[in-house]
Amino acid sequence: MSLLFQLLAAGVVTGCIYALAALGFVLIYKSSRVINFAHGQLIAVGAFIALALTQRGLNFWLSALIAMTLTFFLGVVIERFFLRRMVGQPIISVIMVTIGLASVLDGLMYLTPYASSNNSYPVNFSGSFSFAGISLSSAELFAVAATLIFLGGFTYFFNKSTLGVSMRAVSDDQMAAQSVGTSVQRVFALAWAAAGLSAAAAGLILGLKSGLSLAGLAGIGLKVFPVVILGGLDSVLGAVVGGIIIGIVENLASGYLDTLVPGGGTGAVLPFAVLLVVLLVKPYGLFGTKEIERV
Amino acid sequence: MPATRLSQTGNYKTTYRQDQGIFANRKELILIVVLLVALLLLPLITPRTMLRDFDLIMIFGIAALGLNITTGYTGLINMGQGAFMGVGAYAGVVAANAWNLNLFFALIFGGLSAALIGGIVGLPSLRLKHLYLAVATLAFQEIFTWGVGHSRLLAQGGAIPAPAVSIFGFRDSFLTHNLFWYYLILPILAFLVLVWRNVLRGKHGRSLIAIRDNDRAAVAMGINPATAKLTSFMLGSFYAGVAGVLLAYFSKSVVIEDYGLDVGIKVLAMTIVGGLGSIPGSVFGPAFIIGLDRVMEQVANWLGGLNLFPSGVDVATALRPLSFGLAIMLFLMFQPHGLASWWDKLRQYVTKWPYKS
Repeated sequence: MSLLFQLLAAGVVTGCIYALAALGFVLIYKSSRVINFAHGQLIAVGAFIALALTQRGLNFWLSALIAMTLTFFLGVVIERFFLRRMVGQPIISVIMVTIGLASVLDGLMYLTPYASSNNSYPVNFSGSFSFAGISLSSAELFAVAATLIFLGGFTYFFNKSTLGVSMRAVSDDQMAAQSVGTSVQRVFALAWAAAGLSAAAAGLILGLKSGLSLAGLAGIGLKVFPVVILGGLDSVLGAVVGGIIIGIVENLASGYLDTLVPGGGTGAVLPFAVLLVVLLVKPYGLFGTKEIERV
Repeated sequence: MPATRLSQTGNYKTTYRQDQGIFANRKELILIVVLLVALLLLPLITPRTMLRDFDLIMIFGIAALGLNITTGYTGLINMGQGAFMGVGAYAGVVAANAWNLNLFFALIFGGLSAALIGGIVGLPSLRLKHLYLAVATLAFQEIFTWGVGHSRLLAQGGAIPAPAVSIFGFRDSFLTHNLFWYYLILPILAFLVLVWRNVLRGKHGRSLIAIRDNDRAAVAMGINPATAKLTSFMLGSFYAGVAGVLLAYFSKSVVIEDYGLDVGIKVLAMTIVGGLGSIPGSVFGPAFIIGLDRVMEQVANWLGGLNLFPSGVDVATALRPLSFGLAIMLFLMFQPHGLASWWDKLRQYVTKWPYKS
């Protein structure tokens, strides 16, 4: 029984990181209907910027702040120079542009010494807490706390600030929003910026929890798909719930199923099986908007 | 009719029969024969190392043509072409090893297995559209990679050797490896192109294009979208399967790394760079992407010698994704119809000269 609780707790921790990663992905899709295949790379870029700064002797918290600011502007730049040209193009072209972008960012990261080695942030997060048979390291607890703070902040932003409300307006009905004077371009730019920022946050938290490797960080970009499809592509709440469910599924699978399968690693594949089932049974996910389309 | 058939410049079709012909006019047929002869003679003047790239271009050309059928002609986004190639490769090679099949039957068996799986994976396409389908094929790719990596039967993704091939007394030897496969793959590619061109002129091919352009109108015209979409998926995966078997035989073994998500994305990029919905584009794309890889190797060698980068940086690993991604993005932003549109312009210029097109 204690194994079950331990796995559930670990699942919630992983799920929180997935939720944070999926948040930016959903923001972009919600406002501009773009599927971003470069999200994993944004996560990695943010994490590596912070690593580069800390290795040059800067305080971790300061470099985390700088990294998030830089990815914020990276998001704006990406939207301005690449995605804005693709407005109105077929979906496959838009998808391919983000795949190309992912490849370019990969290449740029390989130009630094960080991409081809495993690193960790030089911060001391030792110690662990345990209660009721569950033990979590302080890095994991910090991951959960930071995710909750970020999600809370984003929710507040969407519901209270003018920009947040205009973002919701644009995602609801672009033309209506435009006719009451909302700048759609600014909203798209902001969505990418917020995605960049939350991606960097996810990268930082993941880096603290389990170290920095390009494969591990960019791999989250693929893990996001089961999360957002399960939660519903255009739902922020769905990203959080989906993230936590997928995190739990992953940890339960690696806890209970790995012994049954030669080579193990069921945690990596089960989310994709869930994804296929969701697509067949309930394609718009738990909280997604149903778009009625026949044929 | 102009004086000679060779100098005709436009479409002079007066009957439906002419409109349904595989080749637009006699001039095109002659050009194609000339092109084929030129391709047959090409190995005589190219160095042997370059021949290897030609072989790869043709193999990926088959895969890209298959993806073009699904994505370019029918508009169903498929990110799992690598997995379909893998299904074909594993089925073909394992069957050939087990039952002593020769290459011909391995190709057919691999292609058919891929088509079967393609039909199953294509089932969601009946309900899902656009990016949902893209995500579904992505999930299939991930599950395929994992499944092969965890099955003892398939050596857990490790190398399974492919049997040696001999045809009409010619054998695949170390020295003539690339040449042997060049003359083996070229007719297969030509045949598959001809098959698709033939399908395209009839009811089935046209119904795929109709589904892509406007599925509701297509249904109103009496086309069954389910059949059309599944046909497209199965045909596209058949081509992928054949390409996979060829790749496995050409590299003498089948390894899971050759059939991962990155391969599927590479084939998708090839199709887009070549031009979606274009047969010549399906070969231009692989030629461009593989050529770009070779050029970047040279550039990386040159850059690496300059000592510009800190230690621990391998310029070649960085340049490959960098140039690949840039090529895709630049093509999509500035030349969305791919290399095929340049080809069309060139052809129009030549055929209509001295008039402007």
